[in-house]
Amino acid sequence: MPRVQREATVTWEGNVARGSGAISAATGAFEELPYSLASRVETPDGKTSPEELLAAAHAACYAMSLAGELAGAGTAPDHLDVHATVTLDQVEDGSHRIVASELLARARVKEIDADTLNRLAASASAGCPFTKLIEASATVTVNATLEGESDGD
Amino acid sequence: MATDRTAEVTWHGDLMSGSGRVDSVTSGAIGGLDVDWRARSEDAESKTSPEELIAAAHATCFSMALSHGLAQAGHPATELKTSATVSFQPGEGITKIALQVTGNVPGMSQDDFRQAAETAKESCPVSKALAGVPEMTLDARLQG
Repeated sequence: MPRVQREATVTWEGNVARGSGAISAATGAFEELPYSLASRVETPDGKTSPEELLAAAHAACYAMSLAGELAGAGTAPDHLDVHATVTLDQVEDGSHRIVASELLARARVKEIDADTLNRLAASASAGCPFTKLIEASATVTVNATLEGESDGD
Repeated sequence: MATDRTAEVTWHGDLMSGSGRVDSVTSGAIGGLDVDWRARSEDAESKTSPEELIAAAHATCFSMALSHGLAQAGHPATELKTSATVSFQPGEGITKIALQVTGNVPGMSQDDFRQAAETAKESCPVSKALAGVPEMTLDARLQG
């Protein structure tokens, strides 16, 4: 399969404390998203941040990976809900570091038990290219549950 | 103080023929963005992908780090234009990120600007988180 390229463009004006930027995607999927230092480390106030975009990337990557794992096991999902929460923290030397990405998945899948789901959820994270990368800096945790499932008793 | 940002994605069906959507994020700045495997690995057709979101995150983080470095060096930028291009090889992963920045920075030399951009590339939190990408390039130049 050929290599795929995806591009985004940012314009920034002013210094970091009082300046502001705008982010656009080459595909046109989003344009001129505003962001600032305050939206990154304080109250978002409707503005995005690098970490929020990484959370969106991780959730999107993981959802595809989990769909692939479930389909590969013969149990394609009817519906998956994935939440990713990325944490930026100040570390000992005073610099900021992305320290965690927490994945929560809720799956509506016919004929699967919780143990199998947990196993596939873990391999989906291992197979998601973004998990592999961000593990250089952050701890990735995965928690998967079945939607609307009784405990089978 | 730690800062959390959350995104929510819904997916229906299998990987190859199913489809998903980035429903919402903490700030509310994006939502309702469609994603699917074909758009990710072939023609984007106006749909975003994890790699495009990573490109957006990296360009964003780099721009902030550079604006900070320039201001600290006594040369605050009037404007920075940054693009990040993420290369994705299906089956292999993310193989390259190319950063390109053009700056309008009064009173600064090309060499100093390049050096500041190199430092921003090394120090921004997203660069550190993506340190495992096999190739990360930078092209930095001053406007005009």
